[in-house]
Amino acid sequence: MADLLGFVLSGLVSGALYALLATGLVLSYSASGLFNFAHGATAYLCALGFHELHSGFGWPAIPTAILMVFVIAPALGWALDRLMFRKLARVGETAQIVATIGLLVALPALGLWVVELLEDAGASVVPAENQFGLPGVGPSPAESWQLMDGVGIDSDQLITWVATAIVAVALWILMRHTPLGLKLRASVDNRSLVELRGISADRLSSLAWMLSSGLAGLAGVLATPLLALSAHDYTLFLFISATAAVLGRFMSVPLAFAGGLGLGVLQNLVAGYASFADGITGFRTAVPFLILFAGLLIMTRRQRTAGTAAVDAPPIDYLAGKSWIRKWGPWATGAVLLALAFYTVTTPFWSGTLTQGLAISLVFISFTVVTGLGAMVSLAQATFVTGAAMVAGLLMSHGWPFIGAAVVGTCVAALLGALVALPALRLGGRSLALATLALAFLADQVLFQMGWLRNGDTGWEIPRPVFGPVDLTDDRAMGVAMVVLVVAAVAAVSALRNSPSGRAMLAVRSAPAAAMASGVSVVRTKLMLFTLSAGLAGFGGVMYASYQTRITATDFTAMTGLIWLAVVVAAGVRRPQFAVVAGLVFAIMPPLISDYVTESAHLPVILFGLAGLALANDPDGYAAAASVRRHRRKAAVQHTPTTAVTREAGPPPEGAALELRGVRAGYDGAPVLTGVDLTVRSGEILALLGPNGAGKSTTCKVAAGLLTAQGGTVYVSGHDATRHGAVRRARAGVVLAPEGRGIFPSLTIEENLALHLPSREAREEVYARFPSLSERRKVTAGSLSGGEQQMLALAPLLQDPPKVLIADEPSLGLAPRVVDEVFRLLTELRDAGTALLLVEEKAAEILGVADTVAYLSQGKVTWCGPRTEVQADRLTEAYLGIAGTDGSTAGGGGDAGAGADADAGAVEEPRTRTDTGTGEKPRTRTDTGTGEKPRTGTDTDTDSGTDSDSDSDSDSDGTSTRTSTDPSESSSTEVARP
Amino acid sequence: MLRSFRAIAAASAALLLATACNSASNSAGGSDNPGKGGSVRGVTDDSIKVGGIVSMTTASGYSKKDTDLGAKARYDRANAEGGINGRKIDYIGAEDDGQDPGKNLTAARKLVQQEKVFAVSPMSSVTFSGADLLSKEKVPTFGWGTIPQFCNSEYIYGFNGCLVPMPGGTITQSWPEGLAHVLGGAEGKSVAVLANDNDAGKFAIRTYQQGFAAGGFKVAYAKASVPATSTPSDWSAYTKEILRSNGGKAPDVVVSVMQTPYNIGLFTALKRAGYKGVLTDPTDYDPGLLAKDTTAQALDGVHVLLSFEPFESDSPQMAQFKEDIKKAAGKDVPLNMHMMTGYMSADYFLSIAEKAGKDLTVDSFQKAAAAYSDTGTMVGDRSGPKGHKEAFGCGALVQLKDGKYVVSSPFKCYEPIPFK
Repeated sequence: MADLLGFVLSGLVSGALYALLATGLVLSYSASGLFNFAHGATAYLCALGFHELHSGFGWPAIPTAILMVFVIAPALGWALDRLMFRKLARVGETAQIVATIGLLVALPALGLWVVELLEDAGASVVPAENQFGLPGVGPSPAESWQLMDGVGIDSDQLITWVATAIVAVALWILMRHTPLGLKLRASVDNRSLVELRGISADRLSSLAWMLSSGLAGLAGVLATPLLALSAHDYTLFLFISATAAVLGRFMSVPLAFAGGLGLGVLQNLVAGYASFADGITGFRTAVPFLILFAGLLIMTRRQRTAGTAAVDAPPIDYLAGKSWIRKWGPWATGAVLLALAFYTVTTPFWSGTLTQGLAISLVFISFTVVTGLGAMVSLAQATFVTGAAMVAGLLMSHGWPFIGAAVVGTCVAALLGALVALPALRLGGRSLALATLALAFLADQVLFQMGWLRNGDTGWEIPRPVFGPVDLTDDRAMGVAMVVLVVAAVAAVSALRNSPSGRAMLAVRSAPAAAMASGVSVVRTKLMLFTLSAGLAGFGGVMYASYQTRITATDFTAMTGLIWLAVVVAAGVRRPQFAVVAGLVFAIMPPLISDYVTESAHLPVILFGLAGLALANDPDGYAAAASVRRHRRKAAVQHTPTTAVTREAGPPPEGAALELRGVRAGYDGAPVLTGVDLTVRSGEILALLGPNGAGKSTTCKVAAGLLTAQGGTVYVSGHDATRHGAVRRARAGVVLAPEGRGIFPSLTIEENLALHLPSREAREEVYARFPSLSERRKVTAGSLSGGEQQMLALAPLLQDPPKVLIADEPSLGLAPRVVDEVFRLLTELRDAGTALLLVEEKAAEILGVADTVAYLSQGKVTWCGPRTEVQADRLTEAYLGIAGTDGSTAGGGGDAGAGADADAGAVEEPRTRTDTGTGEKPRTRTDTGTGEKPRTGTDTDTDSGTDSDSDSDSDSDGTSTRTSTDPSESSSTEVARP
Repeated sequence: MLRSFRAIAAASAALLLATACNSASNSAGGSDNPGKGGSVRGVTDDSIKVGGIVSMTTASGYSKKDTDLGAKARYDRANAEGGINGRKIDYIGAEDDGQDPGKNLTAARKLVQQEKVFAVSPMSSVTFSGADLLSKEKVPTFGWGTIPQFCNSEYIYGFNGCLVPMPGGTITQSWPEGLAHVLGGAEGKSVAVLANDNDAGKFAIRTYQQGFAAGGFKVAYAKASVPATSTPSDWSAYTKEILRSNGGKAPDVVVSVMQTPYNIGLFTALKRAGYKGVLTDPTDYDPGLLAKDTTAQALDGVHVLLSFEPFESDSPQMAQFKEDIKKAAGKDVPLNMHMMTGYMSADYFLSIAEKAGKDLTVDSFQKAAAAYSDTGTMVGDRSGPKGHKEAFGCGALVQLKDGKYVVSSPFKCYEPIPFK
């Protein structure tokens, strides 16, 4: 019994650290939706800083710790948020994962580099290497007390417990009982809605990152005596705490906190009682990762199918439709030149280096398959590489020929890939990444510890093959052979991408549900991708091992796989040729830097890590960004003159609460509004009608500041507000009730109201007005009915009428009786002096309340006038989308997605209905084109169901093209081929 | 697409064909093979170029960078004494491999193909993927023989032999014998051996179980069960088992074959649980550890195994070593075992090179190495052929006592036992 108590008590120490780290993870995830792999690195950096300031500069321990936790760590979090996290929150999940993986290696290297520089400058720093038994905050050496026989604690443990307990209470108070905590929780729920409420989500995100970093700093300082200064250990610690964050579903701070504590205890109990597993080498080492994997499988809800990233729109392929020479010419020339170079210019060293780069390229192409085609982040690629090479080596030691061994090795890797994929496929995004990471660690610690497979530290020899006259023992011959293999792999992956199965893969990537509906098996496709990618990685592994002529179990660890991913994604993961660029850069950069820049080993690591930073700006990698940027510049040049023309001078008319003048707007490469003029006066309801795809929602977004106008002017109360974002508009009194429900589903009714109405009296008045809300103030808003939710969204507005209310389909999905109630409330708002801009599908009802009616068609207001002048045929025309133009547009809609939309040429063509029609609302059909509507990405989870009916009138052919191709990748090659 | 495919296929076939012709002619011609012809790689009339590979920066915070300083100190002295057979040593410093296998190979390639060194000394890392290349290119390499590549490789030498016991080889007995010396005989004494839960840990348990049994100890406990990836925060699970292992009582000796952070945790926990017996490990001979109260206290009383002469010894060669290091560093620096590794790697290389005579080629060097033997160095009695198969088998124990190391079992060479 004493044993058990002892295990539990001391398990709580590492548990406390896990809890601190997990809480920080959850906070930062909540703030910007990204899982921070670099959280442990932040903790390490703080530990390093504490060590240098305390032991090096001799500063007293407690003030130094306070400085680290309350000043330096939050400052680091703030800086990182400003520099990258804020931007990363808007890009795809792959880029997010990778950017923080880059930081994971860059931050420790940066810290060590600074120490190195300080040392050179003569500062009294102490070395960061080989430091053990470092002093923490408490006495050093630690005091210890025996509580009872066999159960003791020491001062370091006590300090950890007390600090963690204080943090727990402080966090609880902050999150539950302060307005700041309420705002933070609201922004977790719905980031863009928070902005529409006039709260800067960016500032909240900064705050959350500062808090999160501070917690990491605290964990770092507390863990200094335990973990000393091993960046590796801090990162492992973080991966284990990720289990606790998973337990809290990345949302709940208390659950994550409790999970962390429980994890520490569980781990200790297993260590104490796992003697049954003594026969399995590595079992005890692997325990945390077993828990992580199991936790992921059990705790992750089935919200998205099989690992599809949430917001991950591909860049526009500007070369789509161009000739083969334009697309492949430069690459082919590069390959030929490289092959020639081996026999002409390169020295033996550089031949070897290039060969190495090509060999690793083969492995890197496997990322193109799994991450580029499949949108799944696999951190287990190194496992496949090691597995394949080990098996091949084992077979060759038994006299197998190279080819046979390589084939079997590749197959084993593919099999391993399928095994990893099977349990992992039901997970998505970061859960999948973490699960594959856990499996990679399990493989390192258990599978590759098996003596017969591993052959000790000697590993297996893999001599380079000799085929007749082709002797690959020569680096140059090996290099040329690798060029051939890499070209073949690039061609094969490109061919796969353009084949029917490739289109199925892209379909699954962009819209699993729609893919399923059109008969594509999501699970089978994903499984195939994973298997294929693992096989390719395995084959690359065998080739790489034969390049270095030997494979040992420690050559490619799970951490190696992490760094590989960062390197590949930094270059670009969507096309196999980018992976080759990544491979070559990976091999060439370090020797180049050490030859020409600095001897310090830290700098290349920092540079590789910072490539992740660049992802915040170019989420598709530097190789892809080069062409995209060039084309964007071209497009921008073509655009500039028109902007000047549409901007009209002159002051806005008196009394206009909101005025749009010549507004042009659209999404990347797809213009939607081509010159909208609208004026809404106080105390007036303006109903905006128009067919699907006319640009109604886009108009709302421009008016509310969610989308920046490309041309024209937006006036709010007579002031030019064109460049103001949503937050400033909201503060100026412009409120958008977005499509769907403008509420925070995870907050209670009371909290929802409190966000808008800080004073208790105001809230009581709302309750008096809406007794049905009053009865359930502690109920979460998500559990209300659709009508009640809409009431909840409008109720606070009635209490405190805004200057302008923009309502995007407020009656969407509501019962007729409720719709009447909603319109009654809107009229009431008008009477209170609010200017209302209403977008509605249900024209009949809205005509009953509107003062002014405007028809929007193809991005232009074609008619605007008082309700009394509305004629039935005009209304019909507006709805059929033929108002103001001839009938040819109907034909234009027929070939939606035929490929012209993504072309740069279409930017100039405002009338292309295909652009607006498909570009504007892809989400409503398939949940896919979130990239084209980046701001709406956050609400993809909640609204897919409600949207489908609103769009039932949309062209059916649009749906079918979407299911078979990735809409935004719709280069003509993909779509034109049946 | 199909057309492009064909084009690629045709182009690659042509390329491969060209390679075939070229590589055929190339392998016949032979590259710059050292040892043949007039010029020897890295050797001129008045200099010998030597490089090193050392893990200096690592993610785990463990660094061997002082190995470089140790080697430099020894080469500096050789040069000050007029060089080796009239040739100065041109030591270009050590490449940092960051404990990364890929970088280790790159470093080896850089030294051989770009710098064209005659030899690599020191090579000290936890990984040695450059070994095959160095062997293939016939580069004499000297380093710390903790990696299997130091055994049975013609051109690779461990400065104190090959430290990984091979089946059919031997196990060095310096640890059990040294402990027997400390305890006044092994008879009736029990030991508990603890290692990390991985393949290396299992292997260590296997060898030491055999070694201690052969040394006359009763092995009461031998487990590779401590998680290998990060230090446990709580050791009670292990201490409890160990303290009951000797028929319910504590064993006389607790042997840890783990790294310093683990040893600190384990020994502190054992002491807090009231353990009074002998503690010993093979890694904690680092005077830097004395500088911190926590480590000095945690390791107080621990007997540390070393395979070279302790710094506390007052032999003339130790005095020379200290003087050389001080000169190379430009100031007084705390000594550590990595300096000794680098120093003795360089020393072994220099001794053989001197034997090889004025006509220094790889062949003459290898011949000299095959016949080389000496006695009484800081790593004991060295012998070229023996070093390829087993450790030189010498060692000492030092005890950390009141903030300083004291020799508890003097440096001595022991007879090894066969490894089964």
